[in-house]
Amino acid sequence: MKQFVVIGLGRFGSSIARALSEMNFEVLAIDKNETLVKSMENVVSQAVVLDATDEKSLKELGIKEFDTAIVSMGETIEDSIMITLTLKELGVKQVIVKAQNDLHSRILKKVGADRIVIPEREMAEKLAQSLASPKIFDFIEVSDTYGIVEMVVPKRFANKTLTELQLRDKYGVSVIAIKRKIPYSKPDGSTDFKDEVIIGPGGADDTISGDVLILLGRSDDLDKIKKL
Amino acid sequence: MKDDFKDLLELSDFYILSQQYDEAIKILKKAEKLSKVDPKIYYNLGIAYEALNEVSEARDSFRLALKLDPELKSAQEHLDRLIEE
Repeated sequence: MKQFVVIGLGRFGSSIARALSEMNFEVLAIDKNETLVKSMENVVSQAVVLDATDEKSLKELGIKEFDTAIVSMGETIEDSIMITLTLKELGVKQVIVKAQNDLHSRILKKVGADRIVIPEREMAEKLAQSLASPKIFDFIEVSDTYGIVEMVVPKRFANKTLTELQLRDKYGVSVIAIKRKIPYSKPDGSTDFKDEVIIGPGGADDTISGDVLILLGRSDDLDKIKKL
Repeated sequence: MKDDFKDLLELSDFYILSQQYDEAIKILKKAEKLSKVDPKIYYNLGIAYEALNEVSEARDSFRLALKLDPELKSAQEHLDRLIEE
């Protein structure tokens, strides 16, 4: 099983440690602040009070045995740079670091960080995108040119079979799944619905208003269809 | 009038169950003109809007249903689901 070490237990660090723990991964949580460490004691496999800028302490902890380290130091940029450098020198395979700005990010890349996250910016971009296209729920980049988009079926596409829609011919995208709400009557007489996913729908499958289509295609083709 | 109102609500159930959500909304708007005090109008409106992924309208409808009946658990559950964290 993968083992993670989370260094810095502020809001971001503690959230990621909690989430990984809930997924049943082994998580070691580190911070020099005793109160923060105490609050994670019953959440993660192990929580330790330690100054992670101290290379010797990290070494003694057997840090190189961990697959991934997540560095989330809120206070000082210098600390996160130092810790990243140390972790890489000690042989941690993957080091993911929270950066505060572009300059910080550039330095982290130079000292060997494998992945850099700027959570506020990523969240803001996602929110902006969802505000710009409220009918687009998600976009996943598969490669530089291909992606998967989750979008509510445009009104003019509703009540047609996939063969009739000709999405591959007209827009160059494939429907890989349809998410649908299936209504039912509850024992008390009220109506409700449950979610159903049709995986790999065929040409004879039709769409209903409110369906969510999961489409795979080139990013520029997906951009076109997103505007419908 | 009472019967008309009841019929409209039943018809809206039928349209929802047969996945004709736009029709259900039309009928419920008619019912609303007859009476605005039955939480079921707004609950069904919420269901129809949610099924169409008209999230903001769905939220407003479930809120109205809860205003009329704060104990309406299913409306609260739908509303909670529609308020993203």
